Amino acid sequence: MTERRQDIILGGVFAATGLSAAYIAAGYRGASGIYPMSLGYVIAILGAIVAIKAMLRGSSEPREIIRKAPQALLTVGIGAIYLALVPILGFYIASALLVLTLPAALGFRRLLFTFVTAAIFVGIVWVIFSVILEKPLPMPVWISY
Amino acid sequence: MELISQIFGGVFAFGPIAAMIGASILGVFIGALPGLNPVMAIALLLPLTYSMEPLVALGMVAGIYNGSMYGGAIPAILLRIPGTPAAIATTFDGFPMAQRGEASRALKIACWSSAIGGTASAIALMTIGPVLARATLYFGPAEYFWVAMFGMASIGVMVGKDAVKGLMAAAFGLLLGTVGLDQLSGTPRFTFGEVWLLSGLDLIVILVGLYALPPVIALAEDRDLKGLSASALKLESVKVPWGEVRSMVPTWLRSSLIGISVGILPGAGGNIAAFLSYNAAKSTSDDPESFGKGNPLGVAAAECGNNADNAASMIPALTLGIPGNVIAALVLGALMIHGLQPGPQLFHQNPGLVGGFMVQMLLTSLLILAVGGAAATRIFAQVQRLPGVMLVPMILVLMAVGVYVINGRVIDLWVMFAAGIAGYVLEKLDVPLAPIVLGLILGPMAEQSVRRALLISRGDPTELFTRPLSAVIALATIGLIVWPMLRAWKRRRA
Repeated sequence: MTERRQDIILGGVFAATGLSAAYIAAGYRGASGIYPMSLGYVIAILGAIVAIKAMLRGSSEPREIIRKAPQALLTVGIGAIYLALVPILGFYIASALLVLTLPAALGFRRLLFTFVTAAIFVGIVWVIFSVILEKPLPMPVWISY
Repeated sequence: MELISQIFGGVFAFGPIAAMIGASILGVFIGALPGLNPVMAIALLLPLTYSMEPLVALGMVAGIYNGSMYGGAIPAILLRIPGTPAAIATTFDGFPMAQRGEASRALKIACWSSAIGGTASAIALMTIGPVLARATLYFGPAEYFWVAMFGMASIGVMVGKDAVKGLMAAAFGLLLGTVGLDQLSGTPRFTFGEVWLLSGLDLIVILVGLYALPPVIALAEDRDLKGLSASALKLESVKVPWGEVRSMVPTWLRSSLIGISVGILPGAGGNIAAFLSYNAAKSTSDDPESFGKGNPLGVAAAECGNNADNAASMIPALTLGIPGNVIAALVLGALMIHGLQPGPQLFHQNPGLVGGFMVQMLLTSLLILAVGGAAATRIFAQVQRLPGVMLVPMILVLMAVGVYVINGRVIDLWVMFAAGIAGYVLEKLDVPLAPIVLGLILGPMAEQSVRRALLISRGDPTELFTRPLSAVIALATIGLIVWPMLRAWKRRRA
């Protein structure tokens, strides 16, 4: 996508966000709404300037948003699955799975190295957060209930 | 006298000393790993500091900051890969030196130059900071409001390629800062009926997402499966003659001054300081042709310049609440974790803590000499043998655990993740992230100040402009916004 089109969309998104914020803030009573409403209008105006500038003088050169889509999307996707698994499998099991699977998904094939690194890393995190700092972290659902 | 003993008593306790040493070592490790940077490291560290004493937490921040700025020189010299953006200028002469077998010498010069630049910068912070803080005693709510606006405008305009996008990001940050219960009236704002939003968006959750996730995705995109071979990281011991050290003194002095000046300016970072110092060393040299081909003065200038920026960037942050760079913004975040409100009052209300942090910036600059020595550098260089793809899940885990322990809520993990993806996309679209963070930090102060000023003046908005000091800061803010636009307009006309 060209820089021009990207900036038009960007400006449009910010303008819409600003207007929505201003509309919502207008419903707040007294002075608590004036400040966010003003900010909403400022964002809307600046967003509109970005979009208009892009329309008038935007570059037609392509601008890269994702450098390597498969790797980036894989990381974001597996990261999202990890976050979804944390409350189910508990922090440590989900984290161990992430350290084992993500490098493999990215093409790393040294399994023993991965296993040893994962074990050492999760062990260090456990010592720091659970033993030394005594922070309560999500437990597996079968232990929680 | 009582304050000085309070400061030194606080800093030289076991906890802060251990934190400074440990964090300096960790900082050099992080700086030595291309793809990791001090901003990311401090963002990851901040959630851990919740339960710590403020001076332990700030000691860790100071150690990571100074350590990583030196650590960036290790891969810059050995591999021509700058460990941090500020180490780019170090590659110009550092790598040619390594190619002719003088890597150890270049690293020693980088280590000393970093320590000298950092020390000079910390001394500037300790001397200029209190003077500037005294001036803020004359500030009322109107001035506080305009100081916040000036900070937002300066970061918005100076960081990034497009001033309008910077200002848009700043305003967006201010808007994010309004989420939650209004502190003055108790009205819930932008909470959409969600109880967890009543306390507002957690600064650290957003920070970790914005600053740690984009580099993680970039590391995954790089897909480094091998790491570096041991032979590429082999170093031999070498001594730098005393005469050569003496010849570097003018370069160190000049670069320190440049770094400090750049550091005080909001928006300019260590990379700019390093480039300016490098160019100054080259232009004043009798043999400018040798720069870029392995001149040790090039390494000295670049490293001294980028480290001289470190503590100086804290001068506007600690006295006015205007961070000179993103790390200074993170330091303000660290202060907020401990219940301190950044802004002009910070210095007056917490002189012991602010003074202690200044001393810690000085001590951690000197610590580079100990943790960045030849033997230590040889060990630090080995971290580059770890394949980049292994770091990706590790950082994700650290992000998750760091964010979870703040409030013990899974929802924060998703907020962090969403902020990270948004940060990744916004950066690619040339929208700077620093103004968003600054908006979150300074937003509440700006809103409360403007509302207090209006309460005092019984709703008369001219109060914001008619006090002499507030008028000056307001004019400076408007000038800051209008000036780059005028310049761009003139350039187009020409």
